[in-house]
Amino acid sequence: MKTILAATFLAGAPLYAWAADSLITVTSPWVALAPPSVKSHAAYLDIRNDGLAARHLVGVKAEGYGMAHLHHSMEKDGVAMMHSMDQMSLDPGQEVSFAPGGLHIMLMMPMGPKAEGDMVDLTLIFADGEELPVVAVVRRPHEGS
Amino acid sequence: MKALAFALSLLASPVAAQMQGVMLDEPVEIPAFTLMEQNGKIYSEADLSGHWTLIMFGFTSCPDVCPFTLGNLEAAVAETSLRVRPDNVPQVVFVSVDPERDWETVSDYAHFFHPEFLGVSGERTDIDQLIEATDSFYRLMPPDSSGYYEVQHSSSVSIIAPDGTLRGKLQPPFDPGSTAEFLARLQIQYRRDMIQ
Repeated sequence: MKTILAATFLAGAPLYAWAADSLITVTSPWVALAPPSVKSHAAYLDIRNDGLAARHLVGVKAEGYGMAHLHHSMEKDGVAMMHSMDQMSLDPGQEVSFAPGGLHIMLMMPMGPKAEGDMVDLTLIFADGEELPVVAVVRRPHEGS
Repeated sequence: MKALAFALSLLASPVAAQMQGVMLDEPVEIPAFTLMEQNGKIYSEADLSGHWTLIMFGFTSCPDVCPFTLGNLEAAVAETSLRVRPDNVPQVVFVSVDPERDWETVSDYAHFFHPEFLGVSGERTDIDQLIEATDSFYRLMPPDSSGYYEVQHSSSVSIIAPDGTLRGKLQPPFDPGSTAEFLARLQIQYRRDMIQ
């Protein structure tokens, strides 16, 4: 019995990891078309945790950029400011929108200008080590955001 | 909790509609200043005269708020052009408070959002003078390990009337329809004030 349990556990372990991967859903990833000269711009997406445990987004990589950060724009007493976020937690069942004027993925030091329709490869990095690839399309902000 | 959130949203919506801008009780004179487009063309207080102007302060390394605001202003000006005479459509001016990084690209940056938007910057003293005159604010933050520094700045946009005085402020989120409505009302109030 013990052996069977152990076997189930062993077999179950990678299955669980696979399942955990698929329980984070990212929809509508996009990068706002920006003036060609800019040294930083932003990506947005909706992210949902359908798992039973909280997940923690701890970083992001963006191909074609020197760096990418999780950022939060906010306004306090009429002043626009940003905060870099070390971690963004998603409770079970929680959905969070990264959208203009709020949460965003700051894309820094672009290696070249991006045109409308270009794809940007992002990798979302979670505290448990999962790396989730996401492809974001470059588009104008006012088209169906 | 849901019921409370719903009740709050009901409460918040009329307030939000009014929050697109504020009209000043008394117009504020804008003192002489000299800023420049990236090609060296002077932009001064004389350029404020004879038409409406919307002045936004920001910086081009701003990944989210500045492009979002300029995009909304573009849509708001398009909406305004449906409501007012062509000569009352405001000129949008983006003033970079970060000339060290933006000096060479500030006008291209503004043109990206609309070919008629102006992008200017200048000496720190001239920028500060316009900031003070419009009761605005900015602060350069310390650089991070990569050398990037954020610039905190006023989120509101200053509205300058054709007589060159500050008449009001637009406030986020710059919803195009309500912003255009606010600008049209402000222009009516201005014409009334001019007649008296």
